Amino acid sequence: MTFNTDFSIGKPIITIWVIIAVLTILSILVTRRLKDVPGPLQNIVEMAVEKLEDYFGGTLGFENMRRYFGMFATLFIFIVVSNYSGLIPTAGETFAVPTASISVTAALAVIAFFTTHTIGIQRQGVGGYAKSFLKPIAFLLPLTLLDQMVRPFSLAIRLYGNIYAEEMVTAQLRKMFPVLLPLVMQVLSLLFCLIQAMVFTMLTAVYVHEAIGGDE
Amino acid sequence: MTSSAIIAIAAALAISISTIGPGIGQGIAASKAMEAMARQPEMVGTLRTNMILALAIMEALAIYGLLISFILIAKM
Repeated sequence: MTFNTDFSIGKPIITIWVIIAVLTILSILVTRRLKDVPGPLQNIVEMAVEKLEDYFGGTLGFENMRRYFGMFATLFIFIVVSNYSGLIPTAGETFAVPTASISVTAALAVIAFFTTHTIGIQRQGVGGYAKSFLKPIAFLLPLTLLDQMVRPFSLAIRLYGNIYAEEMVTAQLRKMFPVLLPLVMQVLSLLFCLIQAMVFTMLTAVYVHEAIGGDE
Repeated sequence: MTSSAIIAIAAALAISISTIGPGIGQGIAASKAMEAMARQPEMVGTLRTNMILALAIMEALAIYGLLISFILIAKM
């Protein structure tokens, strides 16, 4: 295996910067003047936040959800916006969809990996967390460790594979017949983009829930 | 056959065979989940998240095949 030592700034990074800038400006605009009776923009964002709270609360429980909401919501919003950026015309040519590049999804998976173990050690202590790998039986320790090591890979490749395949199919359809035919795949990708973001964050939430110690 | 042709066939086989099992498994899981949702509509929320989780875990198998075929292509 050779390592890629080319650190030039590629298209996905620029797209990420644009996404970060857009999301930051949007958040500042929305939260600058919060009102008791929300305007249309504030209303939409409040609804989104409530949906996300329900979604993560269902897996983590309310207390933990509030504690780690920032991380999960950031991951979710970033992934969903990156995925949907593939629906903007000229995606893949003038700019690249960030999540269709394996480096980006690998970085996200590394974030999820370290977050999980940091939270596990924070909440249970080093010894307690190490002991939690011996459950349900100590005999299964190698398999548990293997499972832990494989998780970031499966997270990264799942997101990358799905989004990349979707972009490729859309591009191929466009090559075959540029009018209306790509629309078929794009309507489907409206659904898939959301589901992939949900799956990524849901799996991270489940891993964190496990690391916290489950329902004990 | 040259070795890169053999590797190309191996990569195609790795991903194509590894999708068969998860495909069948996901079909069974989804159909059972749909049945459960139809029987108990009040549980739809929980069932949906659990179904997506189960599907994602099954999908990991297909992903390993994809990973292997990527590794094989890198060797070409």
